[in-house]
Amino acid sequence: MTRNHLISALAALIVLLLIPFVVEDSYTRHVFIIAFIYATVAVSWDLSLGFAGLFNFGHLAFFGIGVYTAAILSSTLELSPWIAILAGGVTSAVAALLIALPVARLKGIYVVLVTFAFGQLCMQVVLSQSQWTGGAAGMVRLPYLTIGEYSFIRDFKFAYYYVALFILTAAIVTLLLIARSPFGKSLRAVRDNPDYAAARGISVARQRVMVLVASSVFTGIVGGFYGIYLRVASPEVFGFGVGTLVLSMVLIGGTGTILGPAFAALALTFATEAMVGFRGMEEARFIIVAAAMIIVLRMAPGGAIDVIGRLGLAASSATKPLEKGKT
Amino acid sequence: MDGVLIPTLVSGLLLGSLYALMASGLSLVWSTLGVFNFAHGALMTLGAYFAWTVSEQLGWGLGAGFVAGIAAAVVGGVLIELLLVRPFYGNRAMLLVTVMTTLAASTIIERSISIIWGPRLKQLPRVIEGQVSIFGAPISSHEAMIILLAPVVLAALWWYTSKTRSGRSLRAVGQNQDSAALVGIDVPRTFSLAFGLSAALAGLTGILLGSIRFVTPGLGADPLTNAMIVVIFGGLGSLGATAGAAYVIGMLEALLILWLGLYWTPSVVFLALIMILIFRPNGLFGRAS
Repeated sequence: MTRNHLISALAALIVLLLIPFVVEDSYTRHVFIIAFIYATVAVSWDLSLGFAGLFNFGHLAFFGIGVYTAAILSSTLELSPWIAILAGGVTSAVAALLIALPVARLKGIYVVLVTFAFGQLCMQVVLSQSQWTGGAAGMVRLPYLTIGEYSFIRDFKFAYYYVALFILTAAIVTLLLIARSPFGKSLRAVRDNPDYAAARGISVARQRVMVLVASSVFTGIVGGFYGIYLRVASPEVFGFGVGTLVLSMVLIGGTGTILGPAFAALALTFATEAMVGFRGMEEARFIIVAAAMIIVLRMAPGGAIDVIGRLGLAASSATKPLEKGKT
Repeated sequence: MDGVLIPTLVSGLLLGSLYALMASGLSLVWSTLGVFNFAHGALMTLGAYFAWTVSEQLGWGLGAGFVAGIAAAVVGGVLIELLLVRPFYGNRAMLLVTVMTTLAASTIIERSISIIWGPRLKQLPRVIEGQVSIFGAPISSHEAMIILLAPVVLAALWWYTSKTRSGRSLRAVGQNQDSAALVGIDVPRTFSLAFGLSAALAGLTGILLGSIRFVTPGLGADPLTNAMIVVIFGGLGSLGATAGAAYVIGMLEALLILWLGLYWTPSVVFLALIMILIFRPNGLFGRAS
């Protein structure tokens, strides 16, 4: 995180703030809003997966929990959608706390398995509790955002654009502050050398609980916003497709950098949306994104793999890609 | 209670058999290479679709379907090993990288299947028609055959990995690659062997499952989660522990469905798993690694 990064991020923010005055069609604004939503999920995931080196593969569950919290509160219980969106952050944080209890003490592949199974479990619960969640059909016609008499659907999504951008900016600023705090430094210490970090008095278990909760809050809020914005909650949000897409954003953007995944999310959302325009690409775009992810992992050893090499498993920061032996 | 208990136990036995077949394939690759294959479920689906095309569409019969389905899964598994796992051997973050590449592989396989075969539901014929009764519990002969087949396959796998030369080389490579290479074992070939064998098990399970449930692109995804729970529960290390855990989870699931209904069962199984992991982080039967 250098001064240059910060300046380019600020420049990007100013450009994004001005875009709605230039771009007036509702579809392009919609793609931007979706990109901001994915970017928020990706940067939050980067905090646990990249920055803290925690093998969290259930991150999309926090997003889905936010979606369904907002849907149930605003539609079934008829609360204000604003409250419903914020409540998404609360329920995700509670879920993160629950999943952090076993994860805090697990090692390696078992962290992957438990977090992944947790995401699938959330989907099964949503599918089975259809009297609350609408089951496989999902929930539709959720209430939209309003301030006073002003409906956010008006003016070609002008207001939605700024809410989405605000959530993303708030998430990035918070995560950067976390990353630069003493807590953030201790996270990196645990990632790069868990034994040494533990010897210096850092509790690895407590770190994991805190990092999971911290990464879940904005993910849940933006999940709530996603549901309210699209006015739909569907179990698809827990599925492989969305998960792989966001994971590829984190990887292609560069793990552990917070800003990288945000830029990758913008680029990839526009790329995949552009592909939808072609016939028969609806399914194929997922294949292309998955293949791109593999190519980045294979062909960019100086980029993604090098960074990944410094994650949890590494005993030292020196990476030797051709070293013999199993990790 | 008597009237429902035995059918419940029989259905638990069936679930356990399917989980055991799936989880033993996962465990085989894990203990040889230290890779967790997230595309295992997609390989099951691949096997089921190839079997359907050969036996139903081409009409060559179920026997040819089994051969084609298992062969397709093996080709898929070996390709995954060559293209997505082998380039990362020796990488310090191999565990994490291969999780991502196999996840990507599973997306690619599932989406390709849905492009090639379309969204229409398909079903494979049963191996044996008719019904039998086990201790008074009526069950289809096909399901009874799965219950009988699973222990046979597991026993064969155990015999292969402990009594034959090539099977023992799998375990040798899993324990220490360098020493295995020193005594003349072709380590890369053993890796392909482990992936191929595991994929064959996936293909077989997929075909068996495809005549109980409908064949859809997501056929393997749902049982994969359960197989993962089995694997977490039993620890990934040994075949015996994995198989034991598969039957425990299968029985538990069947009993919970009887007591709590279908809806709450996955949550309760998962909560039980979390409780176990809080106290035994290496699984119920697992040893500290």
